[in-house]
Amino acid sequence: MLEALLQGLLAVLQVKAFSFMLLGILVGFWVGLLPGLGGATTLALMLPFIYNMQPVEAFAFLLGMHSVVATTGDITSVLFGVPGEATTAAIILDGYSMTKKGQAGRALGAALTSSLIGALIGAAALALAVPIVRPLVLTFGSPELFMLAVVGLAFIASLSAQGVRGMVRGFIAGGTGLYLAMVGQDPQAGVARFTFDTLYLAQGIDLVPVLVGLFAIPEIIELVVRGSSIAGTTKPGRIEGALEGVKDVFRNGWLTIRCSLIGTFVGIMPGMGGAVAQWMAYGHATQSARTPEEREGFGNGDVRGVLGPGAACNSKEGGALIPTIAFGVPGSTSMAILLGGFFLLGLVPGPEMLTTHLSVTFSMVWTIVLANVITVALCFLLLNRLARLTTLPGHLLIPVILVLVFIGSYTTNSSYADLVVTLISGAVGYLMVRAGYPRAPLVLGLVLGKIAENYLYISVARYDAAWLLRPFVLVLLAVALGVVLYPFFQLWRARNRARA
Amino acid sequence: MHSRSSLALSLAVMVVSGAGTIAALDWPLKAKLFPMVIGIPLFCLAAAEVAWILLSKAPEEKAAEGEVPPLVARRRSLLGVGWILGLLASVVLLGFPIAVPLFVFLYLKLQGREGWIFSAVFTAAVWGAFYGLFDSLLHLPFPTGWLVAWLGFS
Repeated sequence: MLEALLQGLLAVLQVKAFSFMLLGILVGFWVGLLPGLGGATTLALMLPFIYNMQPVEAFAFLLGMHSVVATTGDITSVLFGVPGEATTAAIILDGYSMTKKGQAGRALGAALTSSLIGALIGAAALALAVPIVRPLVLTFGSPELFMLAVVGLAFIASLSAQGVRGMVRGFIAGGTGLYLAMVGQDPQAGVARFTFDTLYLAQGIDLVPVLVGLFAIPEIIELVVRGSSIAGTTKPGRIEGALEGVKDVFRNGWLTIRCSLIGTFVGIMPGMGGAVAQWMAYGHATQSARTPEEREGFGNGDVRGVLGPGAACNSKEGGALIPTIAFGVPGSTSMAILLGGFFLLGLVPGPEMLTTHLSVTFSMVWTIVLANVITVALCFLLLNRLARLTTLPGHLLIPVILVLVFIGSYTTNSSYADLVVTLISGAVGYLMVRAGYPRAPLVLGLVLGKIAENYLYISVARYDAAWLLRPFVLVLLAVALGVVLYPFFQLWRARNRARA
Repeated sequence: MHSRSSLALSLAVMVVSGAGTIAALDWPLKAKLFPMVIGIPLFCLAAAEVAWILLSKAPEEKAAEGEVPPLVARRRSLLGVGWILGLLASVVLLGFPIAVPLFVFLYLKLQGREGWIFSAVFTAAVWGAFYGLFDSLLHLPFPTGWLVAWLGFS
């Protein structure tokens, strides 16, 4: 195994493979920065170019590109409040708040370092877990996947503000997200739900136009209102600020590791998707607040709200590769496209990837590691220049950001209706900000609604009520209850401390 | 504004979830189960929030130190919304390739009060990046605007 590990490294370091990886990194760097233009789309666009490549070169190119998209997507999210990727929206809540306080450098330092640690943990999981994870994935049927979605939904409690009113608003937002997820053709009975007889709504509401509208439009309007730069009158954090962000990650090392593990685990689970990992990690990060005052800081520039999703976003890639390589079961759209790459190259995912082609599998691990190290180093080199963008006058940034928002949203389905969805989401997002509603539960509901409904029906159809008694279902139910009750426990503990 | 926004949102959620639940009554069980299970509690929560807002005292609208006064903020917000809707209209009527440079130039000139030369150079740079990346490199399909097609320039 060690020999294959070394062979994998040497294969990636070959001039041709390394050059293809650098090319992939370059493409992924820009794709991540541009809002809406997703990693999956770019993977699909780049797939035809791998026909004449060797497997190691092709995966160095594709994975080099794909594994850095989330890292640079964080930059757009932190600096401009516009999600660079659908998977980097959670980081906006605290990252962009830090930018507005002039702490862009610190936020980016924390985001990039946690992304790197997350990627390394994801890659390590890929290297170590392939033989171990097989029984776990095979044990997880639709009942367990439904319960996993329920655990995700339980994080709505953590993503809401504290107190009864905060919880009510959080659950209204979460319920609205779940309701939006029901738009489209019902997969069980084939009924068109809330589609108003339109073809566009029959396929359901896409995540990207909603995310872009919900987060970007309110920030653009705020920028127009303030009439200043993003950083306002404060100066952006220079490299010292970035170092502070790096230190923050190590100060909260255990939290970073836990969020990376959440990302890896969600990545392993087929059908959960990358957008879930960041919100679960963010929800978990908010649970690290010890006092109500500390909890209030989340959403207003707490660095833990940056490093949690940052770590989970990148660690999920290694996790998602595990079922793709080991069983040919893609965990996400990107992995499904990558699976196409396997077949184009004449490779069959499964046991052969763990025996005959083990060095190719390890070359993927090394590609994730090297691509992330190179990208993070590059980002740190460009950090001051990037942070300086936040001091540009608003009227120079607004037209560029708005154009990118429109293009990013339109390219999701190449439909003007995507633009309308973005603007409606923008109006909802604006009202939510004004009214003090949390936006995160709405996104979580939208992401998990369809998954939860599908797996629930499959579970009931396959097992009737017996699925409720499966051991992993009970364990996950306990976890979900724990997640819901934890904010109340935090409040109770804080009150006790205050009395003492 | 805080409670007015909150009231508008909660009422909207009440209407949507209420109408959705009523619409779902006619569907088969498999299709209506989730909308009912989510819709009814959602309606109740939104109704509770509405009652909460109506029964509590509205906070006074005052600008904090360093913040933009509420009236100015409202006017600028409407201006921002106007620009966004303007971009949407120009994209639909003229298509992305014309709407993008037109919007950028007009925004810089009218809103930013930049000079002619700077506005033109900045617009050219943005259009070059747009055309080079999305059209030439990625070949993303941007349709001709309705007005342009109607005039026969497509």
